[in-house]
Amino acid sequence: MSDNRREQRSGSWLGLVLRDVQFWVPVAVLAAGLLVLRWIS
Amino acid sequence: MLCGLTAGAWLGAAEAPTKLVTLGLSPVVISLSMVIGVFLARWTLPALIQGTSYVAADMRQAPHLIVWAVLAGCLWAVANTLTIFAVRDVGLSIAFPLWNSNSLLGIFWGILFFQELRGADWRRWVGVLGGAALMFAGATALAIASAAQVPARDAVRGVAAALAAGVLWGTMYIPYRKAYLTGMSPLSFITFFTVGELGMMTALAVTYSGGVSPLWSQLSGARHVLFWLLAGGFVWVVGDLFQQYAVKYAGITRGIPLSNTNQLWGLLWGILVFGELRGASHSVLAQVIGGSLVMAVGAGVIALSSVSGSEHARWQKAAASEGERYGVDPEYTRSRIAGKDASSIVRGRTWIDWLVVSVATATIVGFALMARAPQLAVAWGWAAGLVMVTLGMLAAAGVRLWRATRFN
Repeated sequence: MSDNRREQRSGSWLGLVLRDVQFWVPVAVLAAGLLVLRWIS
Repeated sequence: MLCGLTAGAWLGAAEAPTKLVTLGLSPVVISLSMVIGVFLARWTLPALIQGTSYVAADMRQAPHLIVWAVLAGCLWAVANTLTIFAVRDVGLSIAFPLWNSNSLLGIFWGILFFQELRGADWRRWVGVLGGAALMFAGATALAIASAAQVPARDAVRGVAAALAAGVLWGTMYIPYRKAYLTGMSPLSFITFFTVGELGMMTALAVTYSGGVSPLWSQLSGARHVLFWLLAGGFVWVVGDLFQQYAVKYAGITRGIPLSNTNQLWGLLWGILVFGELRGASHSVLAQVIGGSLVMAVGAGVIALSSVSGSEHARWQKAAASEGERYGVDPEYTRSRIAGKDASSIVRGRTWIDWLVVSVATATIVGFALMARAPQLAVAWGWAAGLVMVTLGMLAAAGVRLWRATRFN
């Protein structure tokens, strides 16, 4: 990968995170955990 | 592997200061106070060991990991709060094995997302999975034997809370592995992890205490014991740091089960120092000894299942793909995974580091001056012995880690 392309990617890292499928696994688990907490408390 | 075992000893020792606190505090206040200690330690240790300029340079290499670190901290805080409710509703004996299933889920994510155990021979598969299963069985026996006599209030909700905590903690290892495959130093990762941890814990504490004023009055009322909780949080961070290094260099599949030996150390502190299980029946003692042996055998089996060359090659492939996705410098990833300094990172301490250390030290000293001596019978001889063993493990693992990785 060229340095230019790498710099471009570094600039939009938040978008890359949001497009990463693996990111949504912990987010979904966190949301579910908060719902369980609300239910049990 | 040594880091994983040292993590177990320190995470277990972290339970000791919390036992010194007299009952009567709200669980959420206890958890928040520990997290404040954790926050102080998570900023002080990186500042002391590598310097904040090193942490900042690390984050410039992979800024996306700030989001992952904060997310992992949020997962930890919600899981920890759920465990408090689980113990309240179903007792420790049922709750502990349920949330301890986090290592099994961590192994699953490691295999599914990060190529762990891929390319390993069948002996290593059997070693890791069999060892984890043995540790789970041993933990179950220990939890039943050391159960507090807490009456079950609401079984369904308690079981759901414990299982949810296990799922949250098990999933927290996804951000961990993500960071360490990229090559990030655990010292940098925890600095941002703790922002999510403290932020989420504060939000939960305010919500479940009924607002800021009630929470503040509870914290003010507990100021004489807050030092012990802060100390527990500080000790816990040392253990967690070794756990993070174990995950980085041995993977989730080895690092997490080994650090789960903390239950054995917690039990040693409880029995030897605080006189728990005194006068217990023979069957309870048999369960404790049997459970401990099974857990130790499980940890030994995992420790012997070291990462093979072909498995390492699969890890490097996963790391290269991760670096490609986020545009991380391949040289940085390669050198950091090998435990070497990246050429672009410079170590050095500035006035900011000394300011962080001074503020944290002043805070802890301030709470120590307010603290009252514990009103508990403590076997100081055993306490000194365990402290020496724990410090010995810290020294051995720290020196080996420094020689091999320079704490990268």
